[in-house]
Amino acid sequence: MTADDDLWSAIGDPTRRALLDILLADGGGTATTLAARVPVTRQAVAKHLTVLDRVGLVHGTAAGREKRYRVDEAQLARAAAQLESVGSAWDARLQRIKKLAESIEKNTHTKEKDNG
Amino acid sequence: MDQAVELGTLEREIYVDATPETVFDVVSDPKHVREWWPDEASYDVTPGATGQIVFGDPEAGGGVVALTVLEVDRPRSFTFRWTQAPGETGVEGNSLLVTFALTPEGGGTRLRMTETGFREMGWEVAVLEQQYREHETGWDHFLPRLATYAASLDAS
Repeated sequence: MTADDDLWSAIGDPTRRALLDILLADGGGTATTLAARVPVTRQAVAKHLTVLDRVGLVHGTAAGREKRYRVDEAQLARAAAQLESVGSAWDARLQRIKKLAESIEKNTHTKEKDNG
Repeated sequence: MDQAVELGTLEREIYVDATPETVFDVVSDPKHVREWWPDEASYDVTPGATGQIVFGDPEAGGGVVALTVLEVDRPRSFTFRWTQAPGETGVEGNSLLVTFALTPEGGGTRLRMTETGFREMGWEVAVLEQQYREHETGWDHFLPRLATYAASLDAS
């Protein structure tokens, strides 16, 4: 696995995406505060945070007995932009499919009218 | 971050004012596919057949990848795998899976596209897709070709 593959699988998990969304909305959080917001245990949240930290999507700093996590927005933007880009590629392709199919159809109808 | 984006799977849909048969031919037949996607496309529209698609000039930084046709159900669905190395058959883990599903709607067609396999293939393939997109250079590249193509259809 490359570092990028790790980033991909880190962000591919729905619980981790939920944690990222909460961290973004709240500006940060600890395993304890996050566990109150998602339907998994504090231990499970801590594991997910470790995965996210390893790929650089969040950074933890010591805050009393716990670590307080914040989202690394640059790394998250990079991950989102990559898929966004693939998505816009397909948007453009589908627009071209639409125009082609419609021009072919129009052409066929015109011919039928001419012949009829 | 956009929660609607299920990372690892892309889903798109569009309404096309043409019959499912016409839309099916446009998304599956290499002679039409090369008008909306790669610069060259050569494969048999037969389940199991592997051919290739070419982006740009392979000798000038372009790309050649294989495309394996999986399902041909005119005019309902067309499924294929792509991005595997030239000559390789597309299977889970070495390629992206694309499905076109067509349903009649009004006088036209609802076209749904899904592309999956990013998670299995990892990050690099998304970068590959991005490169192909950049290679196409969008409408500047496409519009002149569309005009030429449309004119040739009218002339035939």
